[in-house]
Amino acid sequence: MTKRKMFLRMITASLLRRRSRMLIALLSIGIGATILAGLVTIYVDVPRQMGAQFRSYGANMLILPREGETLTRADLDETLQAIPREELVGAAPYRYVRLDMTSRQQSFTAAGTDFAGVTQTSPYFSVEGAYPAQTRELLVGKEIAETIGVKVGSTMELTWQPTAAASELSPEESRVPGASLSGSAEGFGGGMVYVTAALNEDAAIDSLTVDVSTQTAEYGGRIPEDETFLAQFTGKTLPLTLGEDVDALSGATVTSGAIVDALNRAVQAAAPAKPRTVIFTVTGILTTGGEEEGYVFLSLQDMESMTGSDRLDVVELSVSAGADQLQTYADAVTGSGGKAQARLVKRVTRSEASVLEKLTALVFLVTLVVLLLTMICVSTTMMAVVSERRREIGLRKALGASDSSIRAEFLGEGLFLGLLGGVMGAVLGFVFAQAVSVNVFGSSITFQPLLLPAAILVSMAIAALSCLLPIRRAVAIDPALVLKGE
Amino acid sequence: MLFRMIRGVLFHQKGKMLLIALTIMLGASLATGMLNVVMGVEEKVNKELKNYGANIVVKPKDSSLLADIYDVGEGAELNAAWLREDELGKLKTIFWAFNIVDFTPFLDAQATLPDGSTAKVTGTWFNHHLDLPTGESLDTGVVSMRSWWDVTEGRWLDERDENAGAEIMAGALLAQRMGWHAGDTVHIAAAQGEMDVTIAGIYDAGGDEDEQLFATLDLVQALTGREGKVASVEVSALTTPDNELARRAARNPAALSSRDYETWYCTAYVSAVCYQIQEVMTGSVASAVRKVAESEGTILDKTKLLMILITALSLIGSALGISNLVTASVMERSQEIGLLKAIGAKDRSITGVVMTEILITALIGSAAGYFLGFGFAQLIGHSVFGSSIEMNTQVIPIVAGLIALVTVAGSLPAIRMVLRLRPAEVLHGGH
Repeated sequence: MTKRKMFLRMITASLLRRRSRMLIALLSIGIGATILAGLVTIYVDVPRQMGAQFRSYGANMLILPREGETLTRADLDETLQAIPREELVGAAPYRYVRLDMTSRQQSFTAAGTDFAGVTQTSPYFSVEGAYPAQTRELLVGKEIAETIGVKVGSTMELTWQPTAAASELSPEESRVPGASLSGSAEGFGGGMVYVTAALNEDAAIDSLTVDVSTQTAEYGGRIPEDETFLAQFTGKTLPLTLGEDVDALSGATVTSGAIVDALNRAVQAAAPAKPRTVIFTVTGILTTGGEEEGYVFLSLQDMESMTGSDRLDVVELSVSAGADQLQTYADAVTGSGGKAQARLVKRVTRSEASVLEKLTALVFLVTLVVLLLTMICVSTTMMAVVSERRREIGLRKALGASDSSIRAEFLGEGLFLGLLGGVMGAVLGFVFAQAVSVNVFGSSITFQPLLLPAAILVSMAIAALSCLLPIRRAVAIDPALVLKGE
Repeated sequence: MLFRMIRGVLFHQKGKMLLIALTIMLGASLATGMLNVVMGVEEKVNKELKNYGANIVVKPKDSSLLADIYDVGEGAELNAAWLREDELGKLKTIFWAFNIVDFTPFLDAQATLPDGSTAKVTGTWFNHHLDLPTGESLDTGVVSMRSWWDVTEGRWLDERDENAGAEIMAGALLAQRMGWHAGDTVHIAAAQGEMDVTIAGIYDAGGDEDEQLFATLDLVQALTGREGKVASVEVSALTTPDNELARRAARNPAALSSRDYETWYCTAYVSAVCYQIQEVMTGSVASAVRKVAESEGTILDKTKLLMILITALSLIGSALGISNLVTASVMERSQEIGLLKAIGAKDRSITGVVMTEILITALIGSAAGYFLGFGFAQLIGHSVFGSSIEMNTQVIPIVAGLIALVTVAGSLPAIRMVLRLRPAEVLHGGH
């Protein structure tokens, strides 16, 4: 029998024969490792899980159109690529216009939005009834509902007046005098001709710029230099007829016609849209305690069909990320050169950062204190179990065992217990952390693979340390004294 | 004889008993520390959440909607209802006065700037000193209720300053548009007056407020001729997360049974605090800002539950640790117990001796552990929240009961096992 085999046999024999004591030691190491693994897993995951809870404060980032640009739903998808999908809790686009309720001679701020997004970005919205699920359904703020006396199931007839909305349109789209128009039409040989006209106070043409770079240089291409031709347009009111209001430039009839066409198209596109009236059914009354109670909410589809435009005023985003990370995303959106710019809602981001920091520190300190105390607890138990065996140590020494062989045996036993307890603890700890996460946050926790070796190493180290101390004392004493029972 | 034996054990087996006492002390300190933290955490986190600003807004009855909905401009006297500035102190006299942390009045006006454009100027308190009817005093204002503002230039307007009445704070976007800097003097005009004001500071609020002006309440009252009137009050109150009763009460307090009503009124639900504010402020409607109130509830509940579960884990851990050690130490004394049995001791008296020893040790250990644990709770309180955690007397019986239970439970199986042993066998040295 080799020495190693003997060593193993001694350890296993000791473990098996002294079942109850070893069970106690194993149990205590197991508890220590469970607490270690469980708490550390929770600690690592708390910022993420708590951060998700903080999203109930609502949007922490706003996407706005850049100055002079308009933002549409199509642009939005492009913009959102800057933010990782798994961190984006929700996005709610908004378009605000004023709608008239002719029957009561009142007008309200109406927000067109995507209700699926709203439930995610503004979970604090409290709706009596239900969110609109299809078109022609309306969510009414509590203040409006109380003032005009509508209830869930009532109908409201709302009208969109183009003039009422004019002031919130961008200059390009504006249908009022003093705005500028731009349009294009096909010129000679299929090349496009572009025009931009500024209108004066009387909605007549004030100045005109043309882009005819696609036209033949000697013919249509001469137009920008021809002051007399361009001067004919000044002071004229659109639409124009070629040959009546303005004369074609000789040799460039097709291009001249294209310019007139482009202008006419531009003014037609910008012509005041007709008022549109829709009868809505009220599906819900909204309570928030904020200014939203003075708005009505309708779907973006209704908003688009009423106003004939799919532009957005603002998009509220709820992103589950820390303040620094949010700033990075905002810079990425703003810096991408698209039509959108991003701003952080400081009230939410700043406060979240400070509260979350405190909570993380709390869990950290608690974890630290609990771990420290538990580990001392484990080692006292181990020490008690080992020091109980002083007689055995004395006997072995009397039989001629060397100090180092005794130490090695006990250490081996301790390390084995540490290994076993560590594995047990890592598994139980994860189960515990999972239970906590599901109960508290309603979502599962991520397994930290590094924690398995860490839990095993720590429990082995503690087991070994708490064995060594009592053994050192035991082997130092004269075997005769130990055996005598002093 | 019993006393002598116990004294003998306590003094002769000092080492072993010390180990048990140490373990029990650690267990008890863990229990004490965690329970104190768990009971104090709600209040602490609640205070931290005040960072998000007011959770209650008080407005005059019937007027709240008019300005927003009809877009009536300054001077249209539709918005004829106001709150009274002299009643603000009454907020600290309601049943839950102690839970009202901060409150600030607001009064808006449309001001004409030197270049002819207009901006909203809001009159409010910055660091207002208020002497309460109760004889106490309170310092409150936007300095604490807009904790997320950054003063990018200059300083916060200081109401203790004698020039405060002619000072103003400008939003970053407005200042940028107008080319203003801290220290500049600008001329503003409103419905009932005009004056030169000095810009004390420029703030970045990250919202609509960046395009506004903030001045003292007196200044805006003078500009608009509305002395002693305020348009709204923001209140920051420590509240209990809503439950089913609170939701029922929020809809209609009158519909509650008198018993439910009492429970609701005497609990710091946000709806109860709102109700009490309405009772003291003439013609007011107080409503919960759901964005803040609801989120506070969620976060408080989650934090508390998390801490309770961590506490439960550490309690189970320390309980098992203690009972383990007690079991081990009783078993270790099998020889001694065998000897006692051999000389004719009764089972009952052996149990009595062993249990008394252990319970005395446990008592000493847990008393020391209680103070150690309280120290841990304070350590956590101070390093995380910067304030001490109140000593909670409920913790003492819980910890005492827990330790007693654990110690007895830990010794029973071991004693039973030892008693079953035959003295001859034990003394012979077999295990």
